[in-house]
Amino acid sequence: MPARISVARMTSEAETAFTVNGTTVRLGLDPRESLLDVLRERLGLTGAKKGCDHGQCGACTVHLDGRRVVSCLMPAVQANGRSVTTIEGVSGPGGELHPLQQAFVDHDALQCGYCTPGQVMSGLACIAEGHAGDDDEIREYMSGNLCRCGAYTGILAAVRAAATQWEG
Amino acid sequence: MHPFAYTAPATLADALRALSAAGPGTKVLAGGTTLYDLMKLDIETPSSVVDVHALRELTGIDTGGPGELSFGAGALMADVAEDPVLLSDYPALAESLAKAASQQLRNMATVGGNLLQRTRCAYFRGGPAFPCNKRRPGSGCGAIGGLDRGHALLGGSDACIATYPGDWAVALLAFDAVVDVAGPRGERTIALADLHLEPGVSPDREHTLEWDELIVRIRVPATPTGRGSTYHKIRDRESYAFALAAAAAAVALDDRGGVADCRIALGGVATRPWRCRAAERELIGGVLDEHSARRAGEAAFAGARPGTYNAFRVELGIRTVAEALRIAGERAVR
Amino acid sequence: MTRLTRVGAREKVTGAARYGADHTPEGVAYAMPVVATVGKGRITRLDTEAAAAVPGVLLILSHLDNLGIIPAGYIMADGYAFQSLQPLLDDRVAYRGQPIALVVADTLVAATQAAGLVRAEYETEPFAVELGADGAETVLQEEAIPLPFLADIVVGDAEAAFEGSQVRVDGTYESGPQHQVPMELIGSVVEWQEDTVVVHEGTQSVGALRGGLARQLGIDPDRVQVIAPYVGGAFGQKNALQPHLAPLAVAARRAGRPVKLVLPRAHTFHAASFRPVARHRVRLGADASGRLLAVIHEVDQQASRHDLLPATYTEITSRLYAVPNFRGRQRHVKTDAQTPGYMRAPFEHSAAFAMESAVDELCQAIGRDPVEFRLANDAEVDPVTGKPFSSRHLAECLRRGAELFGWAARTPEPPRDVDGTMIGWGVATGAYPSLTVPTLARLRADAGGRIVAEVGGHEIGQGITTVLTCAIADDLGIDPDAVTVVVGDTRAVPHHLTAGAWGTNSTLRAVHAALRELRAGLGAAAAGRVDVAAAVTASGRDEVVVEAVTQGPGQPPEMIDRMRAGLVALAGPEYPDYVSFSFVAHFAEVRIEPVTRRIRVPRVVSVVDCGRVASPVTAEAQVRGAVVWGIGAALRERSEVDPRYGGFLNTDMAEYVIPVNADIGRIDVAFVNEPDFVLNPMGVKNLGEVALVGVAAAIANAVHHATGRRVRRLPIMVEHVL
Repeated sequence: MPARISVARMTSEAETAFTVNGTTVRLGLDPRESLLDVLRERLGLTGAKKGCDHGQCGACTVHLDGRRVVSCLMPAVQANGRSVTTIEGVSGPGGELHPLQQAFVDHDALQCGYCTPGQVMSGLACIAEGHAGDDDEIREYMSGNLCRCGAYTGILAAVRAAATQWEG
Repeated sequence: MHPFAYTAPATLADALRALSAAGPGTKVLAGGTTLYDLMKLDIETPSSVVDVHALRELTGIDTGGPGELSFGAGALMADVAEDPVLLSDYPALAESLAKAASQQLRNMATVGGNLLQRTRCAYFRGGPAFPCNKRRPGSGCGAIGGLDRGHALLGGSDACIATYPGDWAVALLAFDAVVDVAGPRGERTIALADLHLEPGVSPDREHTLEWDELIVRIRVPATPTGRGSTYHKIRDRESYAFALAAAAAAVALDDRGGVADCRIALGGVATRPWRCRAAERELIGGVLDEHSARRAGEAAFAGARPGTYNAFRVELGIRTVAEALRIAGERAVR
Repeated sequence: MTRLTRVGAREKVTGAARYGADHTPEGVAYAMPVVATVGKGRITRLDTEAAAAVPGVLLILSHLDNLGIIPAGYIMADGYAFQSLQPLLDDRVAYRGQPIALVVADTLVAATQAAGLVRAEYETEPFAVELGADGAETVLQEEAIPLPFLADIVVGDAEAAFEGSQVRVDGTYESGPQHQVPMELIGSVVEWQEDTVVVHEGTQSVGALRGGLARQLGIDPDRVQVIAPYVGGAFGQKNALQPHLAPLAVAARRAGRPVKLVLPRAHTFHAASFRPVARHRVRLGADASGRLLAVIHEVDQQASRHDLLPATYTEITSRLYAVPNFRGRQRHVKTDAQTPGYMRAPFEHSAAFAMESAVDELCQAIGRDPVEFRLANDAEVDPVTGKPFSSRHLAECLRRGAELFGWAARTPEPPRDVDGTMIGWGVATGAYPSLTVPTLARLRADAGGRIVAEVGGHEIGQGITTVLTCAIADDLGIDPDAVTVVVGDTRAVPHHLTAGAWGTNSTLRAVHAALRELRAGLGAAAAGRVDVAAAVTASGRDEVVVEAVTQGPGQPPEMIDRMRAGLVALAGPEYPDYVSFSFVAHFAEVRIEPVTRRIRVPRVVSVVDCGRVASPVTAEAQVRGAVVWGIGAALRERSEVDPRYGGFLNTDMAEYVIPVNADIGRIDVAFVNEPDFVLNPMGVKNLGEVALVGVAAAIANAVHHATGRRVRRLPIMVEHVL
């Protein structure tokens, strides 16, 4: 259970502790700050991107206790006691790419790259959830991540390939 | 965003106390996908926020009982959407969740909070450039006489035609769901049909909860009609969009193929989740075919009041109901 | 040729790629604009008291301050900015959404809160935001902007030929407004280092930001550094200086701290350009055998009050067919909006929708197959100038596309699926001018065998770094990993704007010339593999550095000075000895639900003549992405305008509906891949824009085939086929 936070005064900082990519961070947070802004502006983890700030594009997707969420629509204080994984925590310790990251490279599932961290985080979850069963299911469950360059066919191919590899 | 006092109580009892203590102007934060979104737009400006997202007491899902299904208000939309009993016996409920938002948002949003999702009306969300009786009572309605392509055909008033955007409540309404509400005066149960308000002269009032009350549970009476159901949602794109028209339809057939029971509710076309008893009566006791399904759709939209750009959604809505009934009929048990 | 995976892909899939706003310098402050809520008028009172009282607020800039900046000028009128109007300099409000103040605070939370507390009172004025509105003023382009390339195109006597034609089509078509909506928000991080201002901002034109900011601040351009190695999509939105930058630089100087600004998505719909409304009247005349005799193409395009976006719709519609009589007319309709501008295939997408829809109507009227009609009316020489095309393989695009698509099985009566699904097939073609800009390339070869190429260009996702890496590695016969391409950085070389698909043609020209210099500098043969490490070592130097500047054929040398100054300096598509265009043919299948009539596009085949394909992986991605754009343009995207309030209404990514993954089916891409050595020694033309041209028309024509309904206004939505 997360520790109880109690803040009586307006805009007081709430002491918040959570893990990011396995490392514990403790911060005094304004409850208005989004998890996305805290990751980017306070913790220097700029892989998660701001594309809309209203949960409409998916560029800020991270994992919270292993599940994908849009970090822009989550007050960072809600991460208290929980575990956050960002794109920076996906590669291996020696920098080796995760098979899905490699599949994104191999299938050219990106152009400008701005939505890509969110796509990868979403793709990882899509496979883990068991929603990569066929092409239509992947398309549906990857539809929360917009890509304005239009790399959708590559993204589909990359998720399909990684899912197959995962199972195989 | 305006500053606010923030508390994250550890128990439901603490949460209710915190809510009472903080006074009117306090909002309950669960998944945050509506409240925090609107706070970012300075449209919701609570003085105090009580965060209940971590209350385990609210997250239970019980679909195993014979009499009813029960969903803790804090259960996540994604989890309820994949409940095996819902998928097999109440597909309309599962589909209404699965076709809402994206998986990321369904992993955040709760089934209780989702019931109170606020409208997507651009004049409401657009802020001070536009009048809006819902946002600033008495300022007028930008949507009436404006770009109303997505606005309500049913349940509107001269003050507001904002569409209720949710899907889950629509499917629940078709199955006569109730919500259990906790507050300082104890628990009470509200029929879902009595939870949402039409805008009338006070569109800022959207539901019948008191400010110090909290939805704790949603219950759905078990029915064999659930098996033959669907939530059919027509959008401007294939996924991750609000409905142009949506229909929850459920059908049970008798031994001779006649319609023994029928439920129809509309989403995306009304100011609140919209049950269509007249359309149901059109079918019950009769035969479900292309023509009767169409007639039911027409009955559902008999009271529609289109504006400038949304008249096509009457015909689209009729056809959506007809399609939903066709799909439901194919799934129905005899 | 090397089939290289995308350069930078590793950085992008790991989150290591650093975009403009990813920079967070020590002590950074945060800025947030306040925007006007009225359609037009004057600010009578600006109340900043409550905002200033928010803890952490450092500055509130508005017209009440003297910012000490001047406008940067309009990009298409010897300036740098997307529009001539620079907000915050006076009390005028020209359009809803115009910035009226800029709040700077210690934290983003404080800046955002304070911006929401700034209150303005206005004296409002009537405004017009639609083409037909009272007060919208219409001007003829050739009179308003008397430049030769913007004059009406007239060939033969189109009126007489049209009147005398046995078969005639007369239709009005409309598209726009639309917004580019790149995923990366408009934003900037500005920092003063001594008396030099350093800008990190996603842009297609570091040179325009440098030149423009220097002009605005009244400082030497050498005191401005603009750094943009990665750009999170642009599509024309980021092709010029944006009005936030100079005030941000002033704020950073006054605050004595770096300042970061990331515009809210809603602001971006008014803060930069957009694709204007374009209304086309197209008249086609043909004889009964299907020979095209006359084309009259008249266009009204939306403008702002303060600038006219030079329109070139008729540049391609006069050249898609061998038509002996053509008359174009382009007009501007001045409205109370920010200046509209460039959005992928800015004129050509809309022009091709109109023209290729009309041709489909003509084919139906004559009873000719649309592919066969196009092949029969293909042009051998440029119908406008009589000059040859540098290359033209449009017929091959059509033939190859028809084969890949299975077009031969098409019947005039559309097929129906067993469940009643309506199926339609459509075809359309497109063209895009081959433009060339002055470009500088510097190559550094070191004794380790590495090549660093500093080139005036921008990596906006189109793959320019991949293209250049391929070219250098192939030319020298070295490992692509030994090549590093530096673009989007004013510290390296001067940069022209990268847009209009001229990047590949222009940068490859410069790199090709620089490679010749490098070979000479290394004492290597004119062709063949080079042992770079050995050659540099033999030279006795640490590195061998060469430089080349190239420009378009026939382009006067002073254009190079314009490039160095960050100004626009285009050559083409009419060159001294030829005209040059890329061409494309698109084939689309639509399937429409029998009852609720949702329109789906399960497959598209696109065949492109872009000269030699410079980088297969990124080229294919460009075309697939353009098809996704075409699906969005045809079926999804429209910026909504409520004439009572001005500005745009659907200013977020939920309401401005761009395609999602589930919208996209199969996209097959093929290239003619015939080098065009007339245009340049590398044989490449252009790709990123032409790939979009005609997609919407192919889909609209397929919708007509499926339903019998001719929708002449984009986007086509469910209500049009119900």
